[in-house]
Amino acid sequence: MRPANPGKLVPMSAGPDEGAAPEGTVNEHLRTPIRDIIARFPQVGALLEAHGIGCVPCSLGTCALGDIVDIHNLSPEAERELMTAVGALVAPGEPVVLKARTTTAQKKGFSPPMKTLVAEHRLILRFIALVPAISDSLDLGREADRLLVAASVDFIRNYADRFHHAKEEDLLFARFDRESDILKVMYEDHANGRARVKAAVEALERRDRVGVAEKLAGYTEILKQHIRKEDDILYPWMDRKLSTREVGELYAAFRKLDDEYGEKAARYEAFVRSLEEKFASNDAEVA
Amino acid sequence: MGGCGCPGSKMMAFDRDETTEGPAVSSPSQLRQWPVQLHLVSPQAPYFQGADVLLAADCTAFAMGDFHSEWLKGKSLAIACPKLDSEQETYVEKLKLLMEESMINTLTVLIMQVPCCRGLLGHAARALKESSRKVPVRAVVVSLQGEILQDEWLEG
Repeated sequence: MRPANPGKLVPMSAGPDEGAAPEGTVNEHLRTPIRDIIARFPQVGALLEAHGIGCVPCSLGTCALGDIVDIHNLSPEAERELMTAVGALVAPGEPVVLKARTTTAQKKGFSPPMKTLVAEHRLILRFIALVPAISDSLDLGREADRLLVAASVDFIRNYADRFHHAKEEDLLFARFDRESDILKVMYEDHANGRARVKAAVEALERRDRVGVAEKLAGYTEILKQHIRKEDDILYPWMDRKLSTREVGELYAAFRKLDDEYGEKAARYEAFVRSLEEKFASNDAEVA
Repeated sequence: MGGCGCPGSKMMAFDRDETTEGPAVSSPSQLRQWPVQLHLVSPQAPYFQGADVLLAADCTAFAMGDFHSEWLKGKSLAIACPKLDSEQETYVEKLKLLMEESMINTLTVLIMQVPCCRGLLGHAARALKESSRKVPVRAVVVSLQGEILQDEWLEG
């Protein structure tokens, strides 16, 4: 934790070499983990929320304030408004100095490799939406239901994890600092998801229906939040950082992986579609 | 042509503040090949193999102050004018060859905001659609005063 008197704040998305702020002021606050700032100044959390920055519910909160503002790529006006308000709370009366920005047009939409990852998210979310229905109808005394859970675990492990997360971890994330706060959060989400799935498999082996349902629900909750973070924050930030050269290299690497994976991706899409049809018809019967 | 109302030919003058010049040091050229005109370049040229290619409308280099340092740097170049050039069908074929045979990494299409310049983007989009090998194609639209108005990736 920081000392009780945090000193001066000169809010700006600047690195340590920018030189625009008095020494010992800007870096001290911009490099402070957001959980520490929110713990001392809870209104900062509300200010971030008002600007679409959802740090309050984050279980880690290790990202530094400066990185958070940079990652969310606010408009210059919004960044000035936010940081002025944060400064007024954290260091009243101190000057607010914002980093000069260039006024080039922002790229619209995702680059092709990012579009690929977002499209894969859509299939994973379609599956996740079915998990409550799968769990509700589960009778592990029936072989068909045990096979359904096994097939669901196979989808999670082989499509969502081995296929999709491998693209992220091995190809995309590898181009960024693995020790950065935001990537640590992403790796932790992946690890937590894997742990829930492992626990679901163990519950299946015990034919523990409640255990399977709980672990799968835990997995889906992690993945829903994780995908939202990636689609809304991480991928746009990474897309802004990637050079044109890197976009082309990633695109080629993803296509190579797609080719190696072959028709399995289409089979997993068919699996999700078949579940959607099965549970839609179950709903119709109930209705 | 000036009287037809075409924005691509309309006469205009821009006020420039001559006191806000760039750095006094000379900016080195980033061009690393010759020729550059799309009719003259060979898609088989070694500098296109696996390259990031910049397909620039002729006028863009004059409109943009940072053409060399920001856009040409690290890329191989082809230039064309979709309004005045002839036999543009060969442009589509050459772009397809760049994608399929020269295995280019990316194609960045830099055009002016005037409507006639859209034709060059159309050639690139058609080449991408018809190519058996897909590459990321970035479309960048430049204002008459050199600002970036639009920057997006095309669908493959």
